[in-house]
Amino acid sequence: MCAVHPFRHHCNNHYRLTCLLAGLLALAGVATPAAQAQDDQALSYQFTPLEAPQAAPDFVLPDMDGEPHALQDYRGKVVLVNFWATWCPPCRREMPALERLYQQLGGQGLVVLAVNQWEDPDHVFAYTGELNVFPTFPILFDPDSSVSADFGVKGLPTSFLLDQDGRVRYRAIGGRAFDHPEVERTIRALLERR
Amino acid sequence: MTNNHCYMGLGEAGHPRLLLLLFAGLLLPLCACSSVQQQVNPESGLSSWKTAGDSLSLELLQVVPDYVRAVYSARGLPQEIVDAVSSYCVFGTILHNTTQQPLAYRVADWRYITPDGVRHRIKTKSQWVSEWREMGVAFRWSLLPDDQTYNVGDWGQGFTTIGLQPGDRFDLEYSWHQGDATFTRTIRDVRCAPVQAPLQ
Repeated sequence: MCAVHPFRHHCNNHYRLTCLLAGLLALAGVATPAAQAQDDQALSYQFTPLEAPQAAPDFVLPDMDGEPHALQDYRGKVVLVNFWATWCPPCRREMPALERLYQQLGGQGLVVLAVNQWEDPDHVFAYTGELNVFPTFPILFDPDSSVSADFGVKGLPTSFLLDQDGRVRYRAIGGRAFDHPEVERTIRALLERR
Repeated sequence: MTNNHCYMGLGEAGHPRLLLLLFAGLLLPLCACSSVQQQVNPESGLSSWKTAGDSLSLELLQVVPDYVRAVYSARGLPQEIVDAVSSYCVFGTILHNTTQQPLAYRVADWRYITPDGVRHRIKTKSQWVSEWREMGVAFRWSLLPDDQTYNVGDWGQGFTTIGLQPGDRFDLEYSWHQGDATFTRTIRDVRCAPVQAPLQ
């Protein structure tokens, strides 16, 4: 164990050399976990490709107006399913970027389904009114969280990218900067599969 | 306030041969001088602890009981649940995978250590949810998931509940797995939030 001051490292004998080497390598500009650490306040942008894409659990959920949306109806489209809630801070942060992504690629075959957890349409409608950019993609309601359970969602937000055959191709746990070029590139690659 | 700890991800990290490997740069991703930084929110006076330098970063934010009550009341949950959760020492907990490799954590492996040296298990989300389900409540959000595998860019947050009282002190021992390695770290002298935020 070592106590580190800005320019002084006090390590016990066991770890002194380790600290010194790590410090030297860091000073030399070599990547370390610390150097790789992203700004915790920034939303990340990576989506994890699934090694064995599986069929997404089908669902039928109502939107803000009570109209049912069946996932199966979106076969042939790339679908981004985003599980969220208004009380979840990163969910709120990523919502405007989700709309920008939808504006960018919605006309090219991308469907966005924002599946709300445990809230009612009146509450969510009030929340969307607070946003600078009103979501134009469907917001669906999963009041008993059964659909998120089917998807294996453990925490909010969690997002899935489905291909045109309804298979889950990518997953992202935690908030994302959906308007990041890398996200757009990933989705365009899926869109261009056909 | 910064409290740094230097450690490696392998059991016998201080072995000379491993240090040589480190020097060759082979084990660099598994080694770092990690730090714990304590900060005080200038508006609320509440404290937070944030680790850096590890593949898993962890941030603990004090949460006062009234805030916990407000969060659960706003979800429409029964008063019994609101009272039960807010009777615990609650922290907002944020975890990030800061590396380019997957890692996994399991709250059941974590312990909090009280000043008398006793190690205690943390009440997990699934334990809470099980109690709520028996009450006919299907709510399963807001608490830190029991376990997660974080791939590149993944992160998460949620409440952790420590069975202590406002202002109590403890050390938090937490761990995670990455590849074949298990990492264990301790954040020392964490303090439960007071009954009320100091500056409010």
